[in-house]
Amino acid sequence: MRGLSIVAEGAGRYIHWGVIQISQTNLIIIGVMVLLFVLALVVPFPSGHGDHRDEQGRGR
Amino acid sequence: MTTHADETASEATTDTSNWTNWLRTKIVGLVPPGQALPDRQPVYVASWIYVFGVLTLASLVVVIGSGCVLAIGGSAWWHVSSLGHYVNSVHLWSVQLLFGFMVIHLWGKFFMAAWRGERALTWISGVVLFAVSIGTSFTGFLAQTNFDAQWIGGQAKDGLNSVGVGAWFNVLNPGQMLMWHIVLLPLVLVALTAMHVILVRRHGVVPPIDAALEG
Repeated sequence: MRGLSIVAEGAGRYIHWGVIQISQTNLIIIGVMVLLFVLALVVPFPSGHGDHRDEQGRGR
Repeated sequence: MTTHADETASEATTDTSNWTNWLRTKIVGLVPPGQALPDRQPVYVASWIYVFGVLTLASLVVVIGSGCVLAIGGSAWWHVSSLGHYVNSVHLWSVQLLFGFMVIHLWGKFFMAAWRGERALTWISGVVLFAVSIGTSFTGFLAQTNFDAQWIGGQAKDGLNSVGVGAWFNVLNPGQMLMWHIVLLPLVLVALTAMHVILVRRHGVVPPIDAALEG
């Protein structure tokens, strides 16, 4: 029984908010993904030397 | 001067009853000339948000590569070998990265309304890929050969039985789930991924909404 309770203790912490229940780990991962998404939008993309790109996209 | 070889080549190109010619015409026509592996992109592609598609693709390569190594040792290899445990961890964490990158790719394309400009099939194939990826990862959890797999199978059977598929898709059958995980679903995934990438190359990367309005 003691072994089982140790396993259960390692199951992680959960956050309860009304009907929503989510593990702390999953919430942190979602937060990091949202942060990555926002950073991808605002962080400037490095441009290489002699980088000539097409001015027009195709298939609009 | 027309040589015999030129005449033969010309006849071969126009002969549509020849299945080789038919197939070659179809393959060549899949993407516009020079767009299969382009070295230039429209200016709006110079944004980090456009990187997540190829990051997902790179993760898929690592997932399949590590899965192939795991297949050599078998599904229980990682329980008895430190090398097996390491490869299993590479397989697991590359899947985590794949889903993370795929979801950020999805968010970016959703807010860009990436189905614009005759790209509906590209969007739909991406949605189907997302669903098939979830199925593939779930069958992977069932192939762990441990109590975790047993518990997940026990939980999943009720849901699948309730929708009437439990008789032929038995999540309590580790052999069947392993075959789905390493053969059937990866085949579907790779075929759909090829279709998705070809469609992206065929129609080009979707422009930002304001760029489309200016155009």
